[in-house]
Amino acid sequence: MDELERELGPLEDVEDDDSSDNNSTKGRKKSNLPLVNPLCVETPKETGFHQSTRICLEQIREAMLHHRWQEAAEYMACYSQILEDSSRNTEQQYKELIWRISTEILHNHPNSKLEDYNIIYERMKHSGFRHYLMISLEHAFHLLLHGHIEDAKRQLSNQKTKLIQAYRSLLDYIIWCDKKFTHSNTDYPDSGDNQEMHNYFRQASVNLKEILKNPGVWDPFILCYVEMLEFYEDHEVALKVLNDYAYDDSFPPNPNAHVYLYQYLKRHDASERKLMQELKNLHVLVPSHELMLEYSSLLLQSDKKGDIQKALGVVLEMLDFACWRINLDVWKRLKAIIQKLHLQEDWKDVVSGEMAGRKDWWPALHFTSFHACKDSEENPELMEVKASLTKILCPDLMLKYTAERVTSGTWT
Amino acid sequence: MWKLQNFLDMLNFKICEQTYSSKELNAYSALLSDVVHSIPPELLGALLHEELMEQRDRLLFSEGVTGGALAFIPFSQSSSGCQHGCLLYPSNKGRDSLNFHRVALKDQDSSLFLDATSSDPFSVQLKGPIRQISSTSLFNESCVAVRLDRLCGVWRLSERSEPRLMQVVNTRELATCVSVSPHVLGEVLVASESGAVNLWTVGRQMQEVRKEDSNLYFNAKSSWRWCEFSAHPRVMLYADRTGVELTDIRVNPVCGHTLFRISNTSECRSGERLILSKYLGDVHAFHHIITTQYSAYIMDERFPCVPMLKWDHMMQSPPMFCHVLPGSTSSGSALDGARATKVLLGSHSSQEITLLQYSGGRAEACFSQGPAQALLRPRDSLKHLPVQIPHRLDTATNRLSVPAAGLTCIQKKTGRESAGEECICILQLTEAGDIFYQLLKPEQPDADTSRPPAEDKPLPPQAAKHLSQPMAIEATTSGEKTAELLPPFSELVVSDTSSDEGMIGPTPSPNGPRVVAETPERNYQAVNMFSDSFSEDSESEQRGQNLKIVVNDDPELDQVSGLQAGVKDRQVGGDKAGEPKEHGGVDETVCSSSSLGHVVPSERQHVVKLSKHALNTWKHWLQKLMQKNCEKKPRPHGLQYFTIRTKGLLCLPDVAARDSTEEERVQSLRQDLRACMSKRSLLLHSAVSTSLGATDVVPVPNLVETEVWTDQLSHRLTLSWQGEEAWRAWWVDHLELNKEEKTEALRRKRRREKEAKRAAGQRLELSGSFVSSLSYQSELDDFSDSTGWSSATSQGRWSDTEGTGPLSKLESFLKHGTPGSATPSKVQNDTPDPTSTSQSVEDKQDGHQTPSCSRMLSMSQTVKHESTPASQRRTRHPSEELLSTLFSPQDGTLQHNIYALEEGSTLQPPDVAPSFSQLHSSQSSQRVFRIDLSQCDIVQPGFSQSLSQRSQGRLGLSQTSQASQPKKKKSQMGF
Repeated sequence: MDELERELGPLEDVEDDDSSDNNSTKGRKKSNLPLVNPLCVETPKETGFHQSTRICLEQIREAMLHHRWQEAAEYMACYSQILEDSSRNTEQQYKELIWRISTEILHNHPNSKLEDYNIIYERMKHSGFRHYLMISLEHAFHLLLHGHIEDAKRQLSNQKTKLIQAYRSLLDYIIWCDKKFTHSNTDYPDSGDNQEMHNYFRQASVNLKEILKNPGVWDPFILCYVEMLEFYEDHEVALKVLNDYAYDDSFPPNPNAHVYLYQYLKRHDASERKLMQELKNLHVLVPSHELMLEYSSLLLQSDKKGDIQKALGVVLEMLDFACWRINLDVWKRLKAIIQKLHLQEDWKDVVSGEMAGRKDWWPALHFTSFHACKDSEENPELMEVKASLTKILCPDLMLKYTAERVTSGTWT
Repeated sequence: MWKLQNFLDMLNFKICEQTYSSKELNAYSALLSDVVHSIPPELLGALLHEELMEQRDRLLFSEGVTGGALAFIPFSQSSSGCQHGCLLYPSNKGRDSLNFHRVALKDQDSSLFLDATSSDPFSVQLKGPIRQISSTSLFNESCVAVRLDRLCGVWRLSERSEPRLMQVVNTRELATCVSVSPHVLGEVLVASESGAVNLWTVGRQMQEVRKEDSNLYFNAKSSWRWCEFSAHPRVMLYADRTGVELTDIRVNPVCGHTLFRISNTSECRSGERLILSKYLGDVHAFHHIITTQYSAYIMDERFPCVPMLKWDHMMQSPPMFCHVLPGSTSSGSALDGARATKVLLGSHSSQEITLLQYSGGRAEACFSQGPAQALLRPRDSLKHLPVQIPHRLDTATNRLSVPAAGLTCIQKKTGRESAGEECICILQLTEAGDIFYQLLKPEQPDADTSRPPAEDKPLPPQAAKHLSQPMAIEATTSGEKTAELLPPFSELVVSDTSSDEGMIGPTPSPNGPRVVAETPERNYQAVNMFSDSFSEDSESEQRGQNLKIVVNDDPELDQVSGLQAGVKDRQVGGDKAGEPKEHGGVDETVCSSSSLGHVVPSERQHVVKLSKHALNTWKHWLQKLMQKNCEKKPRPHGLQYFTIRTKGLLCLPDVAARDSTEEERVQSLRQDLRACMSKRSLLLHSAVSTSLGATDVVPVPNLVETEVWTDQLSHRLTLSWQGEEAWRAWWVDHLELNKEEKTEALRRKRRREKEAKRAAGQRLELSGSFVSSLSYQSELDDFSDSTGWSSATSQGRWSDTEGTGPLSKLESFLKHGTPGSATPSKVQNDTPDPTSTSQSVEDKQDGHQTPSCSRMLSMSQTVKHESTPASQRRTRHPSEELLSTLFSPQDGTLQHNIYALEEGSTLQPPDVAPSFSQLHSSQSSQRVFRIDLSQCDIVQPGFSQSLSQRSQGRLGLSQTSQASQPKKKKSQMGF
């Protein structure tokens, strides 16, 4: 027997190797083919029950994809039988399925009522704890969408998760905003109201401060937080929060963070140097941002010698992007920059230096006869500005960007 | 031989195999084809396996078609509300002909249709199947890049000019992507399986901008690459199955910034891979859509790695085609569905088209509007058509189930009617070359009244409902049919609601145009002016009667098909490639009449409404399809089986040869027969012979003497006459499958005998045991016991081949003591057991020998002693032993045998012979029996019989005449 086993042993190993090889090749094949794993597949040994539930699910899927919500709802009424299936250990999976499908149907069914939602959500929440938080959050969102802010807050009140707490703080903020609004409208501010408002602020700020410590994108949260802090004139904290958000390396690079910081600085009349610094950082991230116009104007106004060249670079980079190509303001800014640049001795070198990398594609991007045609039709002023710049930007190229109508010719 | 040598020498050169074919070599190859393979079987097997795997993969997921080979270049919208444009699509069976076809989405009398009749397509024959068409338009000038497997071409066209080819490039590796720059006309990015992306400025050289030998983020074992332009003309997207990177092509050591990465996305599932990426320049300058097989993401390149929006698109197979329509900004509030950007995803194998809608992305965050919506697929169309007869249904279903190959949209902004109303026409190309379209229209405003109050709904879904549900979906195809009727017919589309039930509901009865005419007639009562044309049509279209559709031909893309047909005729008659393009103008209007469905929930929510227009085009399409199908395969006259002419084999003898007498005889015979029948008597031979005259009585053949055939096969066949059991038993015996039971039976037998003998006295004890041991040993293939054959050892090794038949005989012999009871012939005939043939001989021998055995016991013992070395030798190696038996005539036994043969030749009873010859033949053919025989030798070397047996074995092998052998045998027996 031992011998037999010994003899069989390596054989089995070999087989295992083979099968694993097969598996791996199959797996490779499969991974090579990014196919969708079907939701439910026909198995060779399925019982009638499984078959009917599978077909039912397919029907639900069809109906939902074609937005036949009534039909889907009718099927769904039957599909919940699947939960009675004890033969497979997939109860959780089915529960999730039912939760998702039924809420989706309710979202779209014309006759659905808020009570139905509440019932479904409560049922699903207590059917198993796996998705409790997600369901709670979704429930809260749903209530929120229908204006039941207090209910939504109650949904989230007994949760301990940070994210949920942050969302709850967001609701605090909304209530705070309401209070602020009524507060500002009444002539005689009530101290009790004020106190209550402050309580909301305190509640919210604790959680928001907490959530903002975690790396992530917290744009709506930070805006609320900063607004409240500004209201209570806690500028130091606000600035710190915004700075952390923009410059913490553990956070993903977030252009919005710089925008928020810039806007905050601008609101509070920060120095031009600070503003330019902020815009410079933003320029690195998003050279096409609309604030680059402000940046260029700041650079233009600055007295430093290199800034005018920087401004030229910023504006030219803006014009690279599709969205600014026919923007009159940018072209005008470019013209202004070049006008100012002309005061310098080496302006030709500066321009050609900036244009060096663009020589081979800028003409096609901006200065073809098609562009001339279109600009002269749609925006003669733009045409004029652009035409005046062609010779300066691309001095050695014969450009076709000239329309007969344009009389002003080149800029002198 | 020199020829062969010559041929082999010639193999070194490239020569025409037809000219230099060698007859000799062909003959050799025919002769040796099963030994010397033209392709080694291992190689062939490996290649075949590879090919099959590839075909399977291609069937499941064909990454070559990513992007889609269907494009629409919109031209300016005319004042009449027509959206003109150029539709680009491949045609021909091989999809290797590129067509530029001017079409117009016309709005006539409040019915929309795609008009393709205004001009013929401009087609270009290419060198391979068209995989992808990418196009872009700038200032009414369009640039079209076409990707074939190893070729890329760029055409340029405008509304006023014909398309003209600018440049064609070859790619060394398989090209996987071609992407036209939306910024600069004439710049194209080409990605290939080598991992390189080239910037191709038309008219200039290709410039490699990025090359990756491996996948970006993890090893996905895929050489598929994709590239797209981005908001900056010199920053491109480099994508593979694992993610997307933004690459600035001006920087020389390329550095990528991750835009999207599979494993970093939330809820990324295992095996999830990137399928497609597309720049949404028209919608938002910085947005890209990225799809995996499960989800679709909107990414903003300014904010990499964070999806703006994610959907689960719920498609069954991965989305390979994508078309995005910017939401109209002309009117409506932010929640107006018309403002939503529409993303259409199309899949390859399952033909699905999924519509996703979203808003935002600028001032407000992106948010999706409603769940994914599946649009109609070509393969679903037949459900909405009148019922087809089964074989046509099959043909049509097959044709309609071909995988999709492209997707595009025509967006039409209607200025004429209510502001902001727009309509989109979704075109889908299948691999068969058919193009189907469906129209989506916004819901009519009056439907709003029946909509339930919106308060209960979350906002985004509501908005989506507003947009999508109201849309009437029209799926369209058209046949190749060139029957042209006037476009005004299309006004029927509106009026034909009455005909709906008739068209969709009942099955048209197969019996004739009468029934067919019924339903349409009702339609035509409404619009009488068309009834003429209808009836005309119903008469002319016998084939299409089961469709029972009104005549309302859409002149649409029919000319395409017309042209195709022309081409086909010019080429080969039945060329399958002739029907690649079936375009057309069927609108199948599937209205999700939501309001109705909501109010009356029990009613089916989905009312399928087919316009006459649509039905008619479908009808023509189907007719054309059927015609093509019939032309293609004229009813196969059976496969090319090997046939044998049987004409001359079975026929009556020549009529002329028949003489009149025979004729008379036949006549009289018939009369006799009739008479017999009337008398109800038998037609006896005597009666026949009188009428037929004296016929030769065929003698009954002699009894078959089965004993004459001494070979094993004959024996088996003889036995098989006795039924399957006998035959089976022979085999069992032959293969010694019943060895054990026999041993057991014999052992039991012996025990009984012993007891009987013990009771009857001890006289025969020894001989009894001897006999039994002898008989068993004669069949045993074990030699080890040959050293001693005492009853004790033999008892321990009861042989298997002992049948019950012989045993009983043996028993009867022992009882009666008469050898005559077991005559050889009787044994031969009576024992159905195949095993018993040789057995019986042994028994018989025993029977004969028993007396002598006891007499010669001492002698046999001594002989046994002598034979020990030989037996030992045999034990060592049976085959060796066999050889020695076969090739050792100097043994002396042969002489003895010959002597015996001479001596007893007169005495031979012929009936034993077969059994012995059988024994012999089995000896020569099968080792087991040989061994048995040798066993016999060992056991009873002293017996002349056994000696003769052995010698017989030798003789049988050395001689071919078997007839002589029985004699020898018998002589022995007699002795």
